[in-house]
This record gives sequence, structure tokens and C-alpha cells, in this order.
Amino acid sequence: MSATTSAGHVPIESLLAWWLHETDAAETDAIDEHLLRCDACGETLDELLGLADGVRAAFKAGLVGAIASAEFVARLAAHGHRVREYRLPWNGGVDCTVAPDDELLVGRLQALLAGVERLDAVLEFSYAPGVRHRIEDVPFDAGAGEVIYLPKTAEVRRAPAHTHTVTLVAAQGGIERALGTYTFRHRPWPGG
Amino acid sequence: MLSAMEALDASFAEAPEAIAARRIVGAPPGTAGDAEAELYRLLAPRARRYGMRHLRDSDAAADLMQHVMALTIEQLRSGALREPERVASFVLGACRMMVIDQRRAERRRDDLLERYADDLPIADIHVAPRLDHRRVADCLERLAERERSVLVMTFYDDAPADAIAGQMGLSAGNVRVIRHRGLDKLRRCVDGGARAAA
Repeated sequence: MSATTSAGHVPIESLLAWWLHETDAAETDAIDEHLLRCDACGETLDELLGLADGVRAAFKAGLVGAIASAEFVARLAAHGHRVREYRLPWNGGVDCTVAPDDELLVGRLQALLAGVERLDAVLEFSYAPGVRHRIEDVPFDAGAGEVIYLPKTAEVRRAPAHTHTVTLVAAQGGIERALGTYTFRHRPWPGG
Repeated sequence: MLSAMEALDASFAEAPEAIAARRIVGAPPGTAGDAEAELYRLLAPRARRYGMRHLRDSDAAADLMQHVMALTIEQLRSGALREPERVASFVLGACRMMVIDQRRAERRRDDLLERYADDLPIADIHVAPRLDHRRVADCLERLAERERSVLVMTFYDDAPADAIAGQMGLSAGNVRVIRHRGLDKLRRCVDGGARAAA
């Protein structure tokens, strides 16, 4: 695979692959060499790394919610992040809160995911009755038997006492099937 | 017959770094301050990027950059680097050697820095400005869930596609496609916000 395009520059996806150590030795050498001569590609790389820093900072500040993996949560904890986890059984609920020094909230939603092709999550909040927010096509590992839900920690921290439900919906061939509903009964941290 | 590297060097004979290197070689040692500053401005950021990629640490990358530039200027001043058009190749070779040697030759690096640190033309090199993470968060919010998840998991600790694929029930190829699409949307959104704010 050539490292450069016909315009003589390295495409951003190749720069990212190089940065993430996905390139083989020959391609790594070619991109190393190119970057020693091409400031335009160097600036694209700087922009990419600035964006990566921005994503990390936004996530660490609790401004970004996501569906992730158990391994990712384990890496966060291993890196010293204060993680508060709630494990919810099928159709279960939990009393929950966010402590002042918590950096990440994790909901582990247990579900039978075998055979599911596409999974959506429907979110509802008691402070906005009747309003449903649907997250379409969430990533999941069917073998894991759980969906790792990371709400925006900063938003939850600011919120008054409320109930938040997440309904997992399997979609297959135009037919939808609720897999389970999970209830978070949030209370602000006392004195927080 | 020219090697690929030599042919590349020949094609860069009129590159600004080659011109600056020739001025250093052509002047009495230590008298081409402007050319040394220009060479530093051009090549130091490139050496720093190499260090970031291969050392994964901004302080170590900054040290590598300083060390490589000190060595390069030393070699040009002394005439040991006789083909100034090869200066970029020399810097790349020095970066590679430094990374290999870093763990076993700390002492030489300190010696060089000690000898040349006061002499080095420290230019104010450009580093991409930090982005407003609230704007990045707003832009992430607009992505599809898979794109957001993949980008967060990728950038949090520089995870390659195959690591994420195994955790999310996807193929590595799928992860790369989702990552590329998400990155493209995120860049456009952040760029758009920056232009609007300007």
C-alpha cells in the first residue's frame, strides 16, 4: 500500500493508522520519512492529535456519553479514573448517585443479546415526561450479555433527583422487540 | 545508480531546509545564526512529531527534538554533514537512532545538551492549539452512536482498530470505516465552529 496519494500527501486515515501503530514496518518507515519532509502532512497530523486531545478532554470532563465495552471501562479504572458502576439485571432498577470525585458513571445493562442484529436504546427522563430520545444502532458485543452505558457524568451530576429509564430495543427485518427496560433512580450527592 | 533515498534527497536540493543547511555549512562555525534558527524552525516540529509517535510522551519527544537539532547543527557547523541537501535524511536517521538509543544512552544526550543547549537557536515552533473541549463535545454529540463510541474508545488511549473490534463485536475493517466517517464529520464540525467563532 502506498503511503501517499497522487497529490503527494498522506491521507488522514493513513496518518491515524500510523499514529495508532496499525501500519506495517515498511509503511511506518515511509510515513516517518514523508513527515520529515512535508509540513502540510505534519500540520494535518497536529490537527488530528489536537482533535484527539479534545475528545479525551471532553470525555474526561464528563461531557460525552457513549456506549462502550467492559474492557474500555477496565482500562479507565486501570488508568486511575474514579469509576462508579451500577450493574442492572434484566428489567432491573437501581438507586444511584454521583460522588464529587467520581469521574465516570457506568451502567451495565444485562440483556440477552444473542441473535440481535441491530440494537437501539430509548432514553426517558422523569423531568421531561413524554420526551423520548432514541439512540440508534448502538454498538454491542452479543457474547458479553450486557450493554455498557456511559451517561454524561457532568449532566447527571448537575441534575435534580429524577428517574431515568433505558429501554433496549432489538430491530430485525422491520420488526422491533423490547429486550429490557432499566431504571436509574438518581439522587444528588448529599450536600453536593 | 542513485538509491531511492539519495534520489529523494536530490529532489529536495532546493527545499528551504537544504538551503538553510548550505548556508550553515558555508559559514564559519557558529556565525550563521539566522540560518540555524531557520533550520530549527523548519525541522524541529518534524522531529517532535517523530518523537511523539515513537516515544508516546510529549516531554520525551521535546527532548528528542532538542537533541536531534543540536546534533544536526553540530554536524553542519563542523562540516561532518557534507551534503546539506541530505539534511532531512540526516534528521530522520538521527531520530531513529535516538529512539533506539534512548533507553541505553541517556548520558550522551545530556552531554550534548549541556554542550550545545546555550548555543541552540530556540525558535518558537508551532504546535497545534488546544481545542475547546466543549465544542468538541457538542460535535461528538452530533455523531451517530457507533461513530462517537469508536472515536472515544480510539482516542482515549490510542487504541488500534483491532483492539476495539474485539470488544464491540465488529471487524477491524468495520471499525476503520466507522472511525474514518466519524473523524471526517468531527473535523468538519469543529472546523465549522472555529470559523464561526473567528
